[in-house]
This record gives sequence, C-alpha cells and structure tokens, in this order.
Amino acid sequence: MRAASRASKTADIWFRVVAGLCASTPVLFLVVIGVVVLIDSIPVIRYMGWHFLTGVNWDLGDMYGNMVVRNGVSAPAGATYGALPYIVGTLASSVLAMLIAIPVSVCTAVILAYRVHGPVKSVFSILVELLAGIPSVVFGLWGMVVLGPWIVHDLGPAINRVLGFIPFLRGSAGTGLGLLNSALVLALMVVPILTATTRDLLEQVPVLYREGGIGLGMTDWEVIRRICLPYVKDGLIGAVALGWGRAMGETMAVLMVGGSGMNALPHTIFSPISTMASVIANQLDSALTDATHLAVHALAELALVLMVLTLITNWLARILVQRSSKTLREGVRA
Amino acid sequence: MKWNRKQWAGLTASAAVLVTLAGCGSGAGNSDTSNAANSTDNSTSSASSAPVTLNETGSSLLYPLFNSQWIPAYKSVHPNVTINAASTGSGKGISDAVAGNVQIGASDAYMSDALVQQNPSMLNIPLAISAQQIMYNIPGLSADKHLNLSGDVIAKIYMGEIKQWNDPAIAKLNPGVSLPNQPITTIHRSDSSGDTFLFSQYLSDTNSEWNTKYKYNTTISWPSLGNRSIGAKGNDGVVTQLANTKYSIGYVGISWLDKATAQGLGYAALQNKAGKDVLPTKDSIAAAANAMVNQVPDDERISLVYAPGDNSYPIVNFEYAVVNSHQSGDVAQALKDFLQWAIQPNGGNSSQYMDPVHFLPLPSSVEPKSEAQINKIGS
Repeated sequence: MRAASRASKTADIWFRVVAGLCASTPVLFLVVIGVVVLIDSIPVIRYMGWHFLTGVNWDLGDMYGNMVVRNGVSAPAGATYGALPYIVGTLASSVLAMLIAIPVSVCTAVILAYRVHGPVKSVFSILVELLAGIPSVVFGLWGMVVLGPWIVHDLGPAINRVLGFIPFLRGSAGTGLGLLNSALVLALMVVPILTATTRDLLEQVPVLYREGGIGLGMTDWEVIRRICLPYVKDGLIGAVALGWGRAMGETMAVLMVGGSGMNALPHTIFSPISTMASVIANQLDSALTDATHLAVHALAELALVLMVLTLITNWLARILVQRSSKTLREGVRA
Repeated sequence: MKWNRKQWAGLTASAAVLVTLAGCGSGAGNSDTSNAANSTDNSTSSASSAPVTLNETGSSLLYPLFNSQWIPAYKSVHPNVTINAASTGSGKGISDAVAGNVQIGASDAYMSDALVQQNPSMLNIPLAISAQQIMYNIPGLSADKHLNLSGDVIAKIYMGEIKQWNDPAIAKLNPGVSLPNQPITTIHRSDSSGDTFLFSQYLSDTNSEWNTKYKYNTTISWPSLGNRSIGAKGNDGVVTQLANTKYSIGYVGISWLDKATAQGLGYAALQNKAGKDVLPTKDSIAAAANAMVNQVPDDERISLVYAPGDNSYPIVNFEYAVVNSHQSGDVAQALKDFLQWAIQPNGGNSSQYMDPVHFLPLPSSVEPKSEAQINKIGS
C-alpha cells in the first residue's frame, strides 16, 4: 500500500469540503426557498386561513380605494384569495397530460428500443430529443394559433360525438383555449422526457429475457407487457413522477393556452383554467402595486402550495417504487 | 510546500464555490450599492462632462418609445447621459422606482393614493397620451361599419347580463344594423395590464354594478362566464384570440389598431359622457385630453377616461414616468434634463418620436404642472 503523502491528504480535505458544499446546494436551495415562501405566506395564511385552499373567488381587491383590516392583516377592500380553481386547474391539466403522454411515450420508446435500428433509430431519437429543446413559449403559440382552432372545429365536436355521454366531456368547445388545450400542450412537452427515459430503460432489459419469452411462444405484445414493462417499472414510475412535476410547474405554455379561467371550477374538459404557476406570472406585476403587499403574499402562498404538491407527488412516486421493488424481491424469493 | 495540479484544481473549485455563494447572498443588495456608488461618483465630479446613467423599467407599452425613439434621440443631444430601458410591466416599474433600483419607472397607471401616502416623495409625471379601442370579430359586418357601443352595454356583456349580439340593448344603439343571433365571447387580458386599468375605469364610470363589484385595476377578478369568457396574454394574444374566435369582443391598445384591423377585426364607436358615439382618432383623443386639462391636479394623478365634450373619445390616458424626487447631484440634474426634454413638443413629445409608436403628445396646458413636478427632483 502506498503511504499517502501530506500533499495528497490536503488535497483530500479540499475535495471533501468542495464536494460537501456542492452536494449540499440542492438541499440548501430547497430549504431556503421553502422558508422564504413560507414566511412570505404568513400574512395571507392569517388573512384567509383554510379558505385559501377551499375558496373559489380570487380578487386582489380595490387597490385604488381604502384599506381594510381583517384578522389583524390590512388588505385592499374586497380582497379575497381563494385558490381552489388554480389548484384544480394545475392538477387536472397535469394529470390529463400524463394520461395522454404515458401511452404515447411508452409506445414510442418500445419502437425506438426494439423495432428500429441504425440510422433510422438515431434520427428518430434525435427528433424526439429536439422536441424537448423547444421553448415553452413556442408550444404556447402553437397551442393558441393551431391547436385552439382545431379543437373548436374538429376535436371538440368529435369528442362530443363519441364520448358525449360523459358529462365532463360534453359541451361547447368555446374558444379552443382551456383544460383540453393545456393538457395536450403539456403532454407534448412531457413526451420527450418520458420517451427518452423509457427508451433507455427498455434497452437495459437483458436480451436473454426477451428471447426466453419469444422462445415460449409469446407475441411481441406479451413480451413487452409481461417481461419488459415489469422489468423497468421502477424507473418508469420515477420518470412519470419527473414528468408530472414538470407538467405541474410549467408556466408560460399554460398561461397562453389555458384561457385564464377565474372564479369558477372547470365544468367540462373545454372550460378555461388557470394553473398556480400561470397565475403567479400573470398577476405578480399588479400585485407589486398593492400598498398592503398582501397580493404578493397571496402569490407566495400559491407558490408554497405548488411546492408542497410537487413534493407530495414525488413522495408518492417514491413509495410506489419502494412497494413494487419489495414485491419484485419477494417474487424472486418465491 | 510544493503544490501539485490537483491541489490547485481543488483550491480553484472551492474558491469558485465560495465566490458564487457570496454572490448569491448579496444579490438583493447589489443594485442598491452600485446605484449609491454611481451617485457619489457623480456628485464629486464636475457637472457637465461626467457620464451619468439613468435606468428605466416598466410599461411594455412605453418601452418602444424609450428604446427605439427617445434613447437614440437623447443620446445625440446629451452624449454623456446613458439611458437603459427594460420592459418589465408597469407594476415592476413603480416598485423599482420606489425601491430606488431605477430612476424612472414607466407606468400606464398612476400610483394609488395608498401607495403615494406610503411614499410621499414619488412623483407621477405624464409623458404622453395613449388610448384604447374596443374590438370585435363579427363575420358579415362590413369593415367600414363601426358598431356603436356604450360603457354600460360593454359592462353588461362582460358581466354576462347581455349574452347575444342581437340583444335589444345593442340593437337600440345600432338602428338599421342586422346583428347576428350569436352568443358573445368576451376576451380580456390575463396578465397585469394598463389596458385592463383603462378598460375597467371606463366600465366603472358608466355602470354602477361594475363599479360596486369589480372596480378598476391592472388586474380584475373577472366574472366567470364558462367558456364564453377567456383571458389572453398581451395585446398580441388578445388580437390573435379575437381573430380566432368568431363573435368575440375585446379591448386592445391603440398601437395595435392597424395590425388588428388587418386581421379583419372591427372597432367600435364608443359613447362618451356627452352621449355621442366617437371613434378613436387623433382629434377625438386630443379633444378628450384637452377637456380634462383644467381638472388635472398638481400631482397629475388623474383618469382621463370618460371625459366631457361632444368630440371626446372616452378611453384615453396619460402614460407616466414614476420618479423619486430624492435624487442626488448629477443624477438629479440628468433626470430633470431628460424629463424636461421628453415633455417638450420640440423634444421628446414631437411627432417624429410619437407617431411611430402611436402615442399622442401632451396638451401644452399641462406643461406648467409637469415642470413644477420635475423641479421638485433633487430638492
């Protein structure tokens, strides 16, 4: 064994300090942002209480009029901050987006991993990854100019004809902006992440397993359903959680195609919605001119709720992964 | 002790991390210190030749006037003054000016009473006059025919009390026009906007229910009409959505008038306080501003909306520079010089700068009040 010189010991200490600092930054930033947002939300938590989460009306109040005091917090007259429509808008658009994106991504990934080879495969992979590089504002513009009219004229009537027996899917397509448009645009933005991850996962399935399945007379679909997907399940759940987080936090595209619904929950898939992120972006400038600063605090509490929701989804995904890997191990033991 | 390459790399990396952390920590204070450094520099050096930097943030409507018209023009008159402009939104402009981050906060809306009470040294100085038109997409209505609309009717449309274009209230204002039996879709700005401020002021002035429930602001808690009411981002978003949506109505800043009519949108003649239906023209906008001049208070915070006079267009406003009167030395002088130049008819208010961005010059009779406000700077 080589005796460590003093110089290399010093280097090791430096390495530990630097690596420690670098490794602590994500936690540090998360904690700092969390604390800042929490402290900023306190006045609104006092002003609104739980109604912040259950209220449907959102009004910055009469900033050009008199101020009122409620629960010891001064606010513009008529100010009320009920964030339920935005919470529902965020969850509905992102969940719907994942429902569309997951099957599309998995099918694309299966084709990319197993069916195409050589130059075709690399061209397709590059195209999918390019999709991830498109700025969200471009997706938003496309959603407004192309997707919106298409929903009004074709997709909306088609959904009404085929699935109109479900109340939530029945109704006028309106302007084409709203929940459905947001979900489609979000799905498109999530697909590249999901596809690339799933493709890499599927490529790690040992060839022997797949060949074994084929040797037993399984069809392509059965091999994928019974062997490949169970093999990559953990990674897949992680990828879905990542994509879901992305969809919930996406701001600009939803701001442009969501129709900025306010003061009401979505009645149908065509209703205008706002997400928490888009409300923050839309209203921050007005909030800055609130002499009581309560409007800024209200947006901070929206950020807090969004952060907590994202953490919960990640945590749920983690639990799912743990549970499934446990059953897998038990399965192996049996 | 001899240092090898790895140790140097470690040292550099850790130094970089420390510098980054330090940078993050003092980020908020940075701009203040640099401003302070600027002003002390300037006050110690001689007045005429010292380079001075003025920073402007705020209104996206005023940004083209600053960035592509005034800044190059002023640079040729005062080469030692550098002006930086950024389009951030009016609210950010006001809060930056209050916080002392910038010298000029550009805003479509004047500061509220409560904000002025908190910050008594802030001045609201009108720079130019702007206006807004009500636009609609009604297929089959000829382009040269303008619907007559009143603030009261528009408020009822936005509150969902008038639902169809052929409603008797609209028909009464437009005798002889065949109005479609179609539901109206209302489009409003989703982002914080001076246009929303103006529009909601017109509705507040003309409809008492609107005035009680929604009032006026740069963001309104819009009534939900299902998917017959949507928000769009920016004037460009509103115009796109109007063009995409048949039988829709919306409000658009005057600088977008040509682009919007090119997309087949019509715009309304609006009922003014005298009960006359007026189209937005240079003359009718100027008439409205002139009619309000004698009501302008010393601090110049006033709504020009719904002005009296037969020929006055009802949705007109001042565009403001929000500045702090507490400025020191050369910065104060440079700021005063620039604002003086900006409001002069042969300076920044000349048509060669105003016309390309569709603003109108200030009425000459408000000049003394603006001068008096500008002279407060630095005192």
